[in-house]
Amino acid sequence: MSNPVLLALQNVRHSATAPASPEAHAIAHLFWWMLAVGGAIWLLVAATAIRSAFARRGAPGDDGLMRVSAETHTRLQRVVIGATVVTGVILMSFIVFDFSVGRALAAFPAQSLTVDVTGHQWWWQIEYEDPNPSLSVTTANEIHVPVGEPVQFKLASHDVIHSFWVPNMNGKRDLIPGYRSSIWFRADTPGVYRGQCAEFCGLQHAHMAFLVVAQPRAEFTRWLLQQRTSGATPVDSLAVAGQQVFMSGSCALCHTIGGTPAHGTVGPDLTHLASRLELAAGTAPNTRGYLGGWILNPQSMKPRTLMPPNPLQPRQLQALLAYLETLK
Amino acid sequence: MTNADRPLRPEGDVSALPTVVFGSRSLMWWGTLGFMTIEGWSIALLLVAYFYLRQNFVDYPPARTPFPSLLVPTINLGIMLLSFVPAVLVARAAKRLDTAAVKLWLLPFSALGLAILVLRWWELWALNIRWDTNAYGSAAWVLVGFHASLLLLDVGDTIGLTTFFWTRPLPPKALSDAADNSFYWYFTVGIWIPLYLILYLGPRIF
Amino acid sequence: MSAEHSGEHDALIPAPQPPLPARATLPDDLLASEHEHLDALWSDGRGFWAWVTTVNHKSIAKRYIVTAFLMFIAGGLEAGAMRLQLSHPDAGVMGPDRYNQIFTTHGTTMMFLFAVPMMTAMGLYFVPLLVGARNVAFPRLNAFGYWCYLVGVVFLYVSLALNMAPDAGWFSYVPLSGPQYSPGHRIDVWAQLVTFTEIAGLIGAINIIATTFKLRAPGMSLNRIPIFVWSELVVSFMIVFALPAVALGSTFMLGMDRTVSTQFFNPAEGGDALLWQHIFWFFGHPEVYIIFLPGMGMITEIVEVFSRRRVFGYTAIVLANITTGFFAFGLWVHHMFATPIPELGQSLFTAASMVIAIPTAVQIFCWIATLWTGRPRFTTALLFILGFFFTFINGGITGVMLASVAFDKQVHDTFFVVAHLHYVLLGGAVTPLFAAFYFWFPKVTGRMLSERLGKWNFWLFIIGVNVTFFPMHLLGLDGMPRRVYTYLRETGWGPLNALVSAGAVIIVTSVIVFLVNVAISYRRGALAGDNPWGSYGLEWATASPPANYNFLYPVVVRSRHPLWETAVELPVLTGLSTERREVLVTTTVDARPDHRHDDPTASIWPLALALCMAVLWIGSIFSPYVVLWALLISTPVLIMWSRQAMRVTTTERVQRPNGEMVEMAQA
Repeated sequence: MSNPVLLALQNVRHSATAPASPEAHAIAHLFWWMLAVGGAIWLLVAATAIRSAFARRGAPGDDGLMRVSAETHTRLQRVVIGATVVTGVILMSFIVFDFSVGRALAAFPAQSLTVDVTGHQWWWQIEYEDPNPSLSVTTANEIHVPVGEPVQFKLASHDVIHSFWVPNMNGKRDLIPGYRSSIWFRADTPGVYRGQCAEFCGLQHAHMAFLVVAQPRAEFTRWLLQQRTSGATPVDSLAVAGQQVFMSGSCALCHTIGGTPAHGTVGPDLTHLASRLELAAGTAPNTRGYLGGWILNPQSMKPRTLMPPNPLQPRQLQALLAYLETLK
Repeated sequence: MTNADRPLRPEGDVSALPTVVFGSRSLMWWGTLGFMTIEGWSIALLLVAYFYLRQNFVDYPPARTPFPSLLVPTINLGIMLLSFVPAVLVARAAKRLDTAAVKLWLLPFSALGLAILVLRWWELWALNIRWDTNAYGSAAWVLVGFHASLLLLDVGDTIGLTTFFWTRPLPPKALSDAADNSFYWYFTVGIWIPLYLILYLGPRIF
Repeated sequence: MSAEHSGEHDALIPAPQPPLPARATLPDDLLASEHEHLDALWSDGRGFWAWVTTVNHKSIAKRYIVTAFLMFIAGGLEAGAMRLQLSHPDAGVMGPDRYNQIFTTHGTTMMFLFAVPMMTAMGLYFVPLLVGARNVAFPRLNAFGYWCYLVGVVFLYVSLALNMAPDAGWFSYVPLSGPQYSPGHRIDVWAQLVTFTEIAGLIGAINIIATTFKLRAPGMSLNRIPIFVWSELVVSFMIVFALPAVALGSTFMLGMDRTVSTQFFNPAEGGDALLWQHIFWFFGHPEVYIIFLPGMGMITEIVEVFSRRRVFGYTAIVLANITTGFFAFGLWVHHMFATPIPELGQSLFTAASMVIAIPTAVQIFCWIATLWTGRPRFTTALLFILGFFFTFINGGITGVMLASVAFDKQVHDTFFVVAHLHYVLLGGAVTPLFAAFYFWFPKVTGRMLSERLGKWNFWLFIIGVNVTFFPMHLLGLDGMPRRVYTYLRETGWGPLNALVSAGAVIIVTSVIVFLVNVAISYRRGALAGDNPWGSYGLEWATASPPANYNFLYPVVVRSRHPLWETAVELPVLTGLSTERREVLVTTTVDARPDHRHDDPTASIWPLALALCMAVLWIGSIFSPYVVLWALLISTPVLIMWSRQAMRVTTTERVQRPNGEMVEMAQA
């Protein structure tokens, strides 16, 4: 992967323990605290249990059984009751801590941005709403957000249950057909963060990832403006031929490219395909080689995906790739 | 116990104890209670599903669906309540060890049961909606249908018992079983009453 | 501490005829002749016919245990295949379709075909022995339950061989498992399989409840029953209230959506995808407690015997069992924290999910108190119990963490949960199960398992479980979701996955050691005798293995630890018939002798009816009309079963509700 942004991807741990938003930070704090207390309890109880097996108290009676004096019994009672009470208190504290973190996370601040996410088998449809419909943006599998501003995600599903999860940013939320749900986060550090579908959704659940690219406001605005443009008409003759290949083949049946007759909605919107970092919902980097392989036979990279193979002649493929590379 | 270490000291003799008993003393009664609990709880769960699905509709039954008709269900409810009479009389006769009376009252018990089963078919269609139209139809049909399976089993049991009583010599425990059969019938009819109220009468009230 | 009321003689029990001198014991020649009569009477015969018609609870339970253990191995092999595929990124061992079938079969096998049947089977074998009974309350129903379960096992594995295994997970969420996204019959296999196993489970539960309430030894009042019996009783009640939910959901809702177009889960027609989750988890959460509570009961028995003292806190432990059983029904939404259920509602389930740890903690503290003031003997069984502390508590802690909504939303549906569930199931159920095998194998077979091999078994298991499942916590936190057939190298999950897969090999080795131990010891283990551990329960007052009839005479019980608190002689009651199979039925709370019950003999009809059920549940996925055919063939079978049960055999003493006693030969 030569793309510097993708390199950035490699350097970020996509982990709930590497929070990059206040929400993920809050959850991570809760986790570390529960781990510390829970770990201590585990050590204490396990050690006591093992230790108890090696304790020797006196000798058995005539019948081979151990007897316990009334005094020891009372002491044991106190210890057991005491331990139970302490357990209860610790659990109460967990409940209170969790409740307070939950309340904080549930409060939706005024958002600067709303993104509609629709789950499909096995890709993510992303739309940036705008009161002016001609300014709304449709893309797939890659979400850009401005750093330091809260973003709300409205979640829906086109088919089965999926789940939207970016560990660095926040917990997950399910996309359930028949229901609308939402989640929000505020990315505080610029970077590229990986998300993945987290509810088993069929054959290619394993390859349904997406990227969240957090950029400074100015860069984000530039990206959004670029996304608002429809595809420029290709000038280069190879690219023009490539556009012909696209429009005359089966591609247009499933894909949309703004400003062209292609209006298919079965598959992802390709208007700005070349601006994206990855292909096929995070299955491969977006390079010429992988894109060519994907177009010729998606089944080899993502078996049982809904996109059929496209046996193209090498010249047609080269032209098509040249065209697709213009879709920035 | 062939344990040579443990000599056995007899402290009493149980040979004078009865071998056939009635009611909660008998194992069969407990088995019957167990099945009632399972079936009753299942119906409760189905009812919860019925009410859960209601939140997806503005009206329940949904708009443009006619209310379930009341004629056949009310008649059938009447027959079910009537069937308590032979059921109770069978149970009392059984506890009196009066086989002749048991045989006698089993006949109308079976006949009414059969009538209830037959009418149950029309009760399904009295819902005035198909099971595959929408979730309301599905929930209503499954509730009535599940209860129909209980009816089928219990009426079948009753008819079987009647046939046995009339065609062959039976051991004394058959009387205890006849009493338990009535016990199960009280439940089968009893659980229908709230279902009738909710499914057939309910839409007109709520 | 055996304070309890001494056994007063009930007016209903006359003294033995002819009256024996005070303190006399039964002579050996009488015992020998009793044994001869009862052994023949309670025998179900030999050969294949006897095998398919037996109603002996021990034979049936052994069958259950062996089949369930085979399912444990099958589930383990499926896990092995999964670990091979996940051992490194893009391993290419199998594609997504096969992987989805394998992981679904793994979960379905372990939860439906291994865990619950195994725990029920341990109850069906040991509860009658522990309470001093000769059989379960409904022996023919017991046989029917096993055959239904076996049909389920065969059904699933034939489907797997035919590439028709279910593939939407053991939890089968809609709409993925619905008619639109899972065409074909795979999910129908799942739905009907669930129903078979639920029938078997419910029958087992009814049997255990009735046996525990009505067939206890005279004098064994409810506050004297062994804690393992309490745990099986609580679990049986849980089964009665939990299993119908999944049976209804799978067959009547999902199955019907798929075959006759009901609309339960179709949002376009008012159906609801969350309805499925509620119904499934209303069953699913109690299910895991159904699996692990009997394990807790086993621990109490074993800790008592190998600490050589009576358990500390009998009442507290019983109440803890009951409380856990209740609370388990109030937790299910914690499986749904990522769904759009209102926050406040979710928080209630957080509180409940945390609070349930308290009764479990009470049991653990009582065991530690028992061990601390006892004199432990380090048999393999006790080692496994110590291993339980080490493993289960880890799972308990992660469970409390998962109860937190905020944290759960990060790790829900990741390998963190896989780690948690395996720690609690392997630690909380399988470890005590192994302990129970080592403890009770001598009773079932008459021979001791090798302690040397047992220690290898134990260490390999504990090490294997921790090496396999601990790294999964880290994988989950690092973003690895569940139910993925592969992952990209760039995620960085490769090394930990390789470690996990290596750990799986250790677990497999441990199970092999166990099987070798069983195979060798079955034929050549040291002879056990009746009570090799010096234990206190009534099951140790029988031969090893127990005779057909279990107990020559009903034992009179006056304490919680009968064999520890009687003098050399065992008090018994005479008077049960040697001409026909009789069991003594006692009153529910105090276990006063109530009546003698005629126990069923061998019968082919349970198997026949189970085959009719197979036609019903399997055939109906291909055509709804099969239901009518199934009813048609079931009717004669039910008639024959009833005929066999209604045979006139002998003169009975009938007691009317008003107390009047009448001798009658027929009704």
